[in-house]
Amino acid sequence: MKMSTVVRSTTKMVSPFLVTYAAYLMLYGHLSPGGGFQGGVILAVAVILLITSHGYQKVRKRFHFNWASLMESSAGAMLVILGLVGLAFGAFYSNFLPIEGGVILPFNVIVGLEVGAAFTFVFYILLRWVESD
Amino acid sequence: MIPLITAIPLLFAFTIVMLDTLRVKGAPIKAAFLLGAVLPAGVPLLRNGTEVVGGWSREAGIEVGIGEVNGPFIAGELILFTAVAIYSLSYFDFRDRKTAKALALFLLIHAGLLGAFISLDFFNFYIYMEIASVGAFALVAFSEEPGSRRAAFKYLIPSLLASYMFIFAVGLIYMETGYLNVDIVAEAAIPSRELSAALGIAFASLLLKAGIFPLHGWLPDAHSVAPTPASALLSGAVVKAPAYGMILLFSALPLGEAIKTVGMAIAAASIFFGIAMALLQRDAKRLLAYHTVSQMGYVLLGIASMNFTEAAYYAMAHSIFKGGLFLGIGSLGRKSRKLGEFGYRGAPVMAFSVLALSLAIGGVSPFIGAYAKGLISSGLSGNWSLVVPLGTVGTLVSFTKLNHYLLKGSPGKLRTAWKLSTSALAVAALGLGIYLGAKVKPADFIYLAVSAAIFLALRELGLFDREIKAKPAEVGREINVLTAVFVSVMLALLLLQRP
Repeated sequence: MKMSTVVRSTTKMVSPFLVTYAAYLMLYGHLSPGGGFQGGVILAVAVILLITSHGYQKVRKRFHFNWASLMESSAGAMLVILGLVGLAFGAFYSNFLPIEGGVILPFNVIVGLEVGAAFTFVFYILLRWVESD
Repeated sequence: MIPLITAIPLLFAFTIVMLDTLRVKGAPIKAAFLLGAVLPAGVPLLRNGTEVVGGWSREAGIEVGIGEVNGPFIAGELILFTAVAIYSLSYFDFRDRKTAKALALFLLIHAGLLGAFISLDFFNFYIYMEIASVGAFALVAFSEEPGSRRAAFKYLIPSLLASYMFIFAVGLIYMETGYLNVDIVAEAAIPSRELSAALGIAFASLLLKAGIFPLHGWLPDAHSVAPTPASALLSGAVVKAPAYGMILLFSALPLGEAIKTVGMAIAAASIFFGIAMALLQRDAKRLLAYHTVSQMGYVLLGIASMNFTEAAYYAMAHSIFKGGLFLGIGSLGRKSRKLGEFGYRGAPVMAFSVLALSLAIGGVSPFIGAYAKGLISSGLSGNWSLVVPLGTVGTLVSFTKLNHYLLKGSPGKLRTAWKLSTSALAVAALGLGIYLGAKVKPADFIYLAVSAAIFLALRELGLFDREIKAKPAEVGREINVLTAVFVSVMLALLLLQRP
């Protein structure tokens, strides 16, 4: 199902800004309100908006189902590996990076990718039942 | 170092999903699964004690530990999961696209259970218990049997409701004391109405998640229709996580005498109700599922009499023998699960394993069940100490019935891995019993004789020809009934604590 031209062009314009905002939330989550989860949700919303306005068939050509799955599982593995690296510096998830916020910055970015991919993935799976669009 | 015990299975679960997406098949997935299953066992060997994740202070961080109380839980889970892992590698068909996802779910349950068992912090415990539960719901729905979706839904909704009530109670504890760490809460807690409310709500929700009578309604369906290795894991380990939660709860909050007495009464009711229902079943896996209701009663008996270590040893014993029984009965009864239509005639390894595990669950020495039952009954006083021997006789009658029917039939084709994992658990039940110091007692022969006599008498009376076959009502209605029972138990627990 395709929506009207107005909706389609608006979502096309809004989506890049949403991705930028998500990146901002992930990168500054340790200094300001926000964080990985919120950033990830907004990242997923950018894709979900495009799907609802342009239709599943068209968006699926750009954002493959398998990419979402791969991103989700590799982000999960990276989260565990981040903790394991901390083990070399004393404790599991020890705060070893000498930058502001320590490991929270990479942690937030990975959580953002994980959550964004997972929400997109869930939305894709739910859409399989309404594929006749 | 200790958090590694849950990080390793999580890492390999993600690896399996990744390999599956990249369409890698066969050996790498099996290798990742086995590594994730076995490697965590190294952690308790290398280190025990407590530590805070990330090296933060105790008040701010998440404390985890392996110690006297949770050690047996962890040991039981690790032994059971190794057997289940070997079993499931030959149980699932690796040409099927869904198999890799099932293995990832198994590892997720593994990570969740180990994470729950090591945590000394209410919120962390809740999170990991939920991870294990989500894996369990999905594995129940994964089964090919008719009614599996229905059973999974009936398990999902009440269990989620209980989880939300539990997290609400954790919020109350945090509001009152300002901490989530169990030891610090125990120091900071002063008896108050809010804490009593939190105790009642959390206790009722954990009773539901542990499948203890009268909140057991979801358990027989879910445990009997799940795929065999999943049944073994659900019955052997997943219901133990809430039991560990009860230990955390009871060791942190101020308890009145009333709630202990109620806990003991619920435990005794659960033991005998489970046995009575098991005697009336003709479906072998359902019979075992009702025995889980009964056996969780013993664990609660230990917890309510404040003998936490003893309860933990019982939980370990139950993990080993109930997991072994599910694996054994599940592989014998591949075609039909109805008693009398299958059995172990002509399969000596299986026959000996099932017989040994039946003796272990009945508490006959020198198996581990005898040691654990001895621990539980040594902590009881007065009339309560009668519960354990009576329950032992009941369990033995029920398992005499099971073995009586199993003697008649013959199994289908058995694979080597199935025999291996079942007999390994039987050997573990015997070996751990001897290692921990259970000795042959003459009293056991009296129990066996009494239960054989009761079995013969009941058979003459024609009890075993009957069968309780609950007509499946509409699933929504069943969930409504379960919810109503849950709410009334919760209210009863709240009102009983009024000063």
